[in-house]
Amino acid sequence: MIELQDALRKKEIWAVGGGKGGIGKSLITGNIGICLARLKKKVLLVDADLGGANLHTTLGIGVPEMTLSDFLARRVENIQDVIIRTGIPNLNLISGAQDFLDAANPNFAQKSRLLRHLESLDADYVLLDLGAGTSFNILDFFLFSDHGILVVLPEPTAIENAYRFIKSAFYRRFRKIVNNQGIKDLIDAAMDQKNTMGIRTPFDLIERIKQMEREVGEILELEVLKFKPKLIVNQVRTKNDIQIGFSMKSACHKYFGINIDYLGYVEYDDCVWQSIRSKRPLSVEYPYSRPARCIERIVHNLLRKEQLTTSMLY
Amino acid sequence: MLKRIDELNFYELLEIEPSATPQDIHRAYDRIRKVYDPNSIALYSLFSPEETATIRRKIEDAYRTLMHEKQRNEYDHRLRDQQDLPELRPIPQPVPPLRPAPVVPDVLPEPVVRAAPPAPQPPATQPPAPQRAAPAAERKIVPPAVVTEFSGPAIKMLREQAGLTLRNVADITKISSRYIEHIENEAYAKLPARPYLRGFLVQYARVLGADPERFVADYLKRSASATVERPR
Repeated sequence: MIELQDALRKKEIWAVGGGKGGIGKSLITGNIGICLARLKKKVLLVDADLGGANLHTTLGIGVPEMTLSDFLARRVENIQDVIIRTGIPNLNLISGAQDFLDAANPNFAQKSRLLRHLESLDADYVLLDLGAGTSFNILDFFLFSDHGILVVLPEPTAIENAYRFIKSAFYRRFRKIVNNQGIKDLIDAAMDQKNTMGIRTPFDLIERIKQMEREVGEILELEVLKFKPKLIVNQVRTKNDIQIGFSMKSACHKYFGINIDYLGYVEYDDCVWQSIRSKRPLSVEYPYSRPARCIERIVHNLLRKEQLTTSMLY
Repeated sequence: MLKRIDELNFYELLEIEPSATPQDIHRAYDRIRKVYDPNSIALYSLFSPEETATIRRKIEDAYRTLMHEKQRNEYDHRLRDQQDLPELRPIPQPVPPLRPAPVVPDVLPEPVVRAAPPAPQPPATQPPAPQRAAPAAERKIVPPAVVTEFSGPAIKMLREQAGLTLRNVADITKISSRYIEHIENEAYAKLPARPYLRGFLVQYARVLGADPERFVADYLKRSASATVERPR
């Protein structure tokens, strides 16, 4: 435990996404937050799911008075004013927008104001709980963070969405790097899987960009190597489900050319469902349950910058 | 550097170090083969069925080449010539040039075993491999002999053809090398009871890349008839 304390001094921002809804993003974010807080880290949870916020529920807090929408609508000037205490020492929360429709789609100015304020906050860790889908706002939060964490379930639907999320995220990152409008259009076109130019994989895209402008292509190539999302497989029931994390890692490396870190898995257990029903956080209600232990292990891997290795399968 | 799948060398394909032992290779192969199984959900929405089939074929090639000591040395040499193998495996002596003929023993131990016609070439629809990976793609993989019946000597021949020693098989399968020897010698009396033997045979079949079902059925049939015919 003690060595973990000095693992990092600087503030880090972690974002938890995954494309599909209902795969446990909020639950995992909330409980990672509790684990970190128990390690005496100052943690701020931010419910960046602007359309369907419910991080507060996984922490056992009722509908909060102050939310992110007060900040976005400038009813309060400083982001400090919307921070609420969770009752767990070291753990604070900025709850997601509840009321007005616009909040789900903040404009560019609102979004940059939010990100600017998040950077100025005093905390060791800021955890962003992202919403479902691959809208630009979600992708921007994901790319803004120091560590992007992807949650998947061992199911085709969740995996499909995770891949789409990865692809969208790094095509968006590409798009931000290049200035040339022609290349931007090419990236947009490549997002469409059935594009007529025969660009199917990121390799095809980079090759095509290299033909247009060699230097840009090389910059993007480096960018691919820098993009390292982390993976958590949730609701694992069998050993084969654990294996899926390694399989996705391999497939991503061979298809996208990116290296995913397989952070860990969370076992399926009814106690998760019971804790949600009783509106009490899993790590508080069932601290010794298998899912809670899995999340602890994930936090340790995150802090030590480690990941699962295939040797654990034998 | 970014590499496409068809540019990956066999080690990168199996996600192992060039210094991997046969046991590492077998494990990696077992794992990777499951990843690129046509029904693997981890591939869902990424690769087309044709792409998956191409990858699977290459994985088989990689496994067969790397498990065969001699072929692996030759392969390493070629990679080194292309400077694609940064971390070298110690190779004691220079390796003779590529042998054109498949490694099928001239004198076959039993008439039931015969060499196969060369394996059919992969369909011509495949896109041509890029220059760098060309030697690997063009390489003829020694076709495994077609065995009409998995008798003890046939199994032994398959094993030798794969360049595996009894020790290698024992390491991979965790079956005692004594039993593996008994299986090959058809020393039925010394083999364990049928259910255990069946388990051993399945393991062994997997190592040889044979169809476990046929392998087991053939062998058990032979063993059953031999046990009955044995004079009391």
